[in-house]
Amino acid sequence: MDFDTQVKLAIYHHFVETGRRPAPEDITARVDAEVDQVLEAYNHLREQRVLVLEEDGVSICSAPPFSGVPTQHRVVVSGKEYFANCAWDALGIPAALQAPGTVFSRCEASGDPLELQVSLDGPEASDWYFHCLVPAAQWWQDIVFT
Amino acid sequence: MLFFRSEENASKWCEERGVPLNPLVTMEQLWKMASAWYATRLQADSRRPKPDEIRQIFTSIGLQGDFWDPQSDNFG
Repeated sequence: MDFDTQVKLAIYHHFVETGRRPAPEDITARVDAEVDQVLEAYNHLREQRVLVLEEDGVSICSAPPFSGVPTQHRVVVSGKEYFANCAWDALGIPAALQAPGTVFSRCEASGDPLELQVSLDGPEASDWYFHCLVPAAQWWQDIVFT
Repeated sequence: MLFFRSEENASKWCEERGVPLNPLVTMEQLWKMASAWYATRLQADSRRPKPDEIRQIFTSIGLQGDFWDPQSDNFG
């Protein structure tokens, strides 16, 4: 397995285990490497659209479907809380973890709370909707806005 | 990429902001999108879908047209 893939898996494992983003030092411990090497891998992963980094180039903003910062889209799986980048990623977290969970979010118009149970087969019956402002061809022009 | 309680709520929210109401996606469709993108994400050989695959995924769950086309040039 190449080093970039080792770093990618280490990032995801940290998110899965803690629900929070790792610091570079958390990753060095997992892949037995120096911080500079890890940050170089971060840049490769950003170019591959695996990671979104903050302006400092060090802090992980997003490793989809996980958000590195708190958002309005919370997901609880096996008692652990995760933040998702968007409504799509909120369902993406149970899908990635291959485990049932509960999505907590809100209607953007009314503020009504959403609590959606998601099993291994998908979400419970729901008449809520998902809406995307940005067409697919432009999603990565500004993925944080998207 | 947001949740809305109803089509009316989504329409009102878009109208208030002067943005277009795009095709709405049901929770069942959203699950299929989420599964297609993320079910293998924690595996070493996972990768993002390529444009042709994205188009195929969307078409298979009833999302068609320029809005869902990852290579459409019909938007500014």
